[in-house]
Amino acid sequence: MTALRRAHGLLGTPGLIGAAILTAVVGVAVYGFLLPEGAGHARVGTPYAPPGPGLPLGADDLGRDLFEQLVVGAGTSLSLGFLVAVATTVIAAVVGGAAGIGPRWMSATIMRGIDIMLILPELILFILAAAFLGQAFGIRVAILALILWPVPARVLRAAVLTAWSRGHLEVARAMGAPRWWLLVRHGSYLIGPLLIPVFVRTAMRAILYDATLSFLGLGDPTTPSWGTTLYWVQSNGVFLSEAWLWWALPPGAAITLTVLGLALIGIAVEERLNPALKEANSS
Amino acid sequence: MTLTMRDLTVSYGARPAVDRVDLDVAEGEIVALVGESGCGKTSLARALLGLLPRNAVVTGSALLAGEELAGRRDWAGVRGKRIAIVPQGAMTGLSPVHRVGRQLTEMLTLHKGTATPADLLDRVGLPASMLKCYPHELSGGQRQRVAIALSLAGEPRLLVADEPTTGLDAISQRHVLSLLASLNISLLIVSHDLTGLLPHAHRIAVMYAGRLAEVTPSARLLHRQDKTHPYTNGLLTATPAPDRDVPWGSIPGQAPALDHTLTGCRFAPRCPLTTSRCVDEEPGLMPYGESHVACHRHDEDALPTYPTVPRADCAPQNIAVRATGLRHTFRSRARTTTALADVDLTIGAGEIHGLVGESGSGKSTLARVLLGLIRPAAGRVEIAGQELTAQRGKALRLLQQKIGFIHQDPYDSLHPGMRVGDLVAEPLAVSKTPAAERGDRVHRALRSAGLPDTPDFLRRHPGQLSGGQRQRVSIARALTGDPVLLIADEATSMLDVSTRAGIATTLRTLAAERGLAVLFVTHDLGEAIQSCDRITVLRHGTVVEHGTCADVAGSATDPYTRQLLQAAKG
Amino acid sequence: MVQTETPAPTERGRRSYGRYTAGRLAQYAAVLFIALTLNFALPRALPGGPLKLFGSPEALAQLTAEERAQIANQYGFGQPLHEQFFTYLGNVFSLDLGMSLSQRRPVMEVLGEALPWTLLLVGTSIVITALLGVTLGVIGALRRRKGKGSGLLGGAIVFDSLPQFWLGMLLIVLFSVQLRMLPTFGAVGPDGVVTIGAVAQHLVLPVTTLTLTGFGYLFLYTRSSLLTVLTSEPVQHAHARGVPYRQIVRRHALRPALLPVHTIIMMEIGFLAAGSIVVETVFAYPGLGRLTFNAISARDYPLMQGAFLVLTVMVVVMNAVADATYPLLDPRARAGGAR
Repeated sequence: MTALRRAHGLLGTPGLIGAAILTAVVGVAVYGFLLPEGAGHARVGTPYAPPGPGLPLGADDLGRDLFEQLVVGAGTSLSLGFLVAVATTVIAAVVGGAAGIGPRWMSATIMRGIDIMLILPELILFILAAAFLGQAFGIRVAILALILWPVPARVLRAAVLTAWSRGHLEVARAMGAPRWWLLVRHGSYLIGPLLIPVFVRTAMRAILYDATLSFLGLGDPTTPSWGTTLYWVQSNGVFLSEAWLWWALPPGAAITLTVLGLALIGIAVEERLNPALKEANSS
Repeated sequence: MTLTMRDLTVSYGARPAVDRVDLDVAEGEIVALVGESGCGKTSLARALLGLLPRNAVVTGSALLAGEELAGRRDWAGVRGKRIAIVPQGAMTGLSPVHRVGRQLTEMLTLHKGTATPADLLDRVGLPASMLKCYPHELSGGQRQRVAIALSLAGEPRLLVADEPTTGLDAISQRHVLSLLASLNISLLIVSHDLTGLLPHAHRIAVMYAGRLAEVTPSARLLHRQDKTHPYTNGLLTATPAPDRDVPWGSIPGQAPALDHTLTGCRFAPRCPLTTSRCVDEEPGLMPYGESHVACHRHDEDALPTYPTVPRADCAPQNIAVRATGLRHTFRSRARTTTALADVDLTIGAGEIHGLVGESGSGKSTLARVLLGLIRPAAGRVEIAGQELTAQRGKALRLLQQKIGFIHQDPYDSLHPGMRVGDLVAEPLAVSKTPAAERGDRVHRALRSAGLPDTPDFLRRHPGQLSGGQRQRVSIARALTGDPVLLIADEATSMLDVSTRAGIATTLRTLAAERGLAVLFVTHDLGEAIQSCDRITVLRHGTVVEHGTCADVAGSATDPYTRQLLQAAKG
Repeated sequence: MVQTETPAPTERGRRSYGRYTAGRLAQYAAVLFIALTLNFALPRALPGGPLKLFGSPEALAQLTAEERAQIANQYGFGQPLHEQFFTYLGNVFSLDLGMSLSQRRPVMEVLGEALPWTLLLVGTSIVITALLGVTLGVIGALRRRKGKGSGLLGGAIVFDSLPQFWLGMLLIVLFSVQLRMLPTFGAVGPDGVVTIGAVAQHLVLPVTTLTLTGFGYLFLYTRSSLLTVLTSEPVQHAHARGVPYRQIVRRHALRPALLPVHTIIMMEIGFLAAGSIVVETVFAYPGLGRLTFNAISARDYPLMQGAFLVLTVMVVVMNAVADATYPLLDPRARAGGAR
């Protein structure tokens, strides 16, 4: 009970709802990993079978179990979101940190580069790169990480600049502490909390963009994913028939819920970190 | 009577921040409400205009020419019209996107003032040409004047000025106060600066822990002859005079936190005259001639004595720090600023050297050059025989371990997640001192800095310490590395007046006992004269005055230094 | 739309307006150069070599000898890489984007037919999204303690999380299939006649999809920007001087709060342009996005590259237009002072 109350104090009601949603999705994903090999892309029923015993959500045009696709898709989406978020956060921290504490020319070059990257439309870049470089899971993760780093890098650079001007960091520098000490003992305390919203928001974007890519038919055809399921919905015109209820609704709702859960956590953490917002909301 | 306050009380939850205050402001009178941070003076001022946060409860009465202000809900036609405020930090409070003229016009329209914007500027001594300026084009003092002009637009019966001098340099402070005094309007000035207000205010109300300690004509305090409340007396001696013959003292202890239930006289725990009656029974504000004093022992002869900063005559010793020909400029995209232009400085072992200048004078840059944080464009710095400016990387860091640094801001200079024990031991961890030695050195440093070294204190986080204690932890941290040079960068500027001299005393003891060279950076010439051996005055990156404290106080040759002296005298 | 950005007003150094404009122009030029380079490099990084550029083996087999020669000549494989690049640049600037493999027509011609529809769709969406996001953001900040404010905040977060293509499908199910109120596919009526009524009708659902998924981020940004300004010193001091709340909001808070929102609107442009690919696919809208999808399905790489290039240029031009209008909003930038 006290743990719950502490979590509530930390995240607030919306953040707690977000955490609950995300926990549920992670549970489904874990269940998906335990399913036997080939779950979701082996033919198990008659094509276009409606929901019934053994097929809770029916089957698609090739007779594949839609429920299994949903469950396996959770793992695909979450692991992609997680990996992209890790990679992007690392790139953003390194680049943003270099722009924050590096020499002036380096900072200026990086910032101009970020400005340019920000004008390029991310999703279009992602589609183009995926179309040419292939759709394997690892390639998609790499492309997303290379496309998504500029915005978080700019946020982290500002954070590093603020942190570096803080009194206790300056005192530590003046006592002859080496850079790694400054970073580990002082910098991590100031910048660490900011990585959470960066991580969460990158995961959100990665999941949405990847679903969009799969929906456009550029997903990995060998693993079931929510976006791919909806690609077949689109190409079969499913939403003109009754089947949209069990075929189109669940995967879309799953994407929305996952992203919503992450968004709620991100907003809760951000509100804790921005005193002006916190004051405005509580007073 | 313009304003009559009776039993005015402001509470946040169950805790009164302002407790049963009776105070009047007569027509055309200037009353200064003086006290240290947390005494409730700002709460009182804001209660008069209904500007308190939602959880505050105001009881009692505050009549403004017959109109009740306490607990009022509808402020239309009152706030800004009948009673106006020059809010705290007015320099940053002007609208950045509107011209001065437009802001004045807005106020005149809103409060149906009859003056023109140019008239208002004229009243605060600014030319009409400034109507077309944006606030960012004005100096701090000019912005403060514009803020005053804005509050005059509604021709209010009473003007409340909340800390009107904070953030201004010493010379502009005096000008702003003279301006306020010349407005011919009923004024309530809220300030922590008792001596600064004495020449301008008619009466002084001294506040301590939510209660009025004394209300008295300022002429009686100006000459420091008449008997006053012990706290007023303490405040007066705690303000450093630019004269070595006037002692500089501090009040021991610290102001009580608001959440304590207080019995008896609130000042009793810190008062040198406390008797058992003071502890048990709360004194009321009693009339004594023209004054009202809340003290049981006011009619006795006993005078309070406070610990003062010891005068040490420091014989010239070995030179510990020698800086020659320092130059430095800062470049931003738009312009270059000369921070240091050919500055020389020497500090002997055991000497406290005052470095005086206002913001932008280059004093912080000089301190950071001596700390090895900024590499100067030209010149050299020698510390303990080693050339700091020639070192890089690891050698530089080793040399930096011999320099202690006390940062200006005690609320930002201690890592909020570390405990006192770890904070003080940080230089030892950085210099890889064996863990077995650390404990002993931490204890010694804490004692030297005037702090307890109990296990309980070592476990505390900075959030559990007062400002003065934090700054002493900073001193202890600077001492653990056994430095040869201690740099105190405005180390007292963010502390309460009553505790400043205590810090200076500690520094003096350290310099004398350990043979430490101390660089005492400050914007307050009086403080430097009181606590240092020699003084260097910096302006626009050049040394304009240099000499022993007595010489600088008595026979300064540079006109700027004399202006500073004049300002410090009040 | 999901973006990460500290929701505090952005700070910029002091630069003269002329230098600022020159800097931005150089930036746009750099963006175009990068887009061109990517377009040049990606096919050459294609697994299986650049020959795959000409499509599937079946498509390759269909090519006439004349077409093969033309392609080989155009891309100049065998020449050194930098010469290939110059050839490529020359082709692009003479508006020669090669032949579409699936439609067997010049790419430029195909794109030319599709561009107006995308401009119409994206342009309408930008205007509505900006108005909706900013207006609701202001309301959300001012009514933050009331039910209306929390409702708006919750709604914005949920819409921000919706995948565009799925929302589009749901709208079709609801308004076209179930209620039969609005058309499902295309941009004009079944007879192919272009009338204003038909065009507007076909625009409703795609624009709604883009707007609903796009306004959320703008809402959140506007809201937090205004909340930050409302707790700033100038606003607090205006309150202390007796300025009534409405006047504080109107005069002292809105303008400083909305200036940084401009930057976010520029980011929305890129988001909405990319969104057109998804939305046009769902609604079979005959614009660049739909073309991109078809090109992907048919592995028609020249068409894909061309559509990418035109979409990028569109985003850059719209950004430049938004940028050029900024000084009209901020007198300080107009005067060449602080920005």
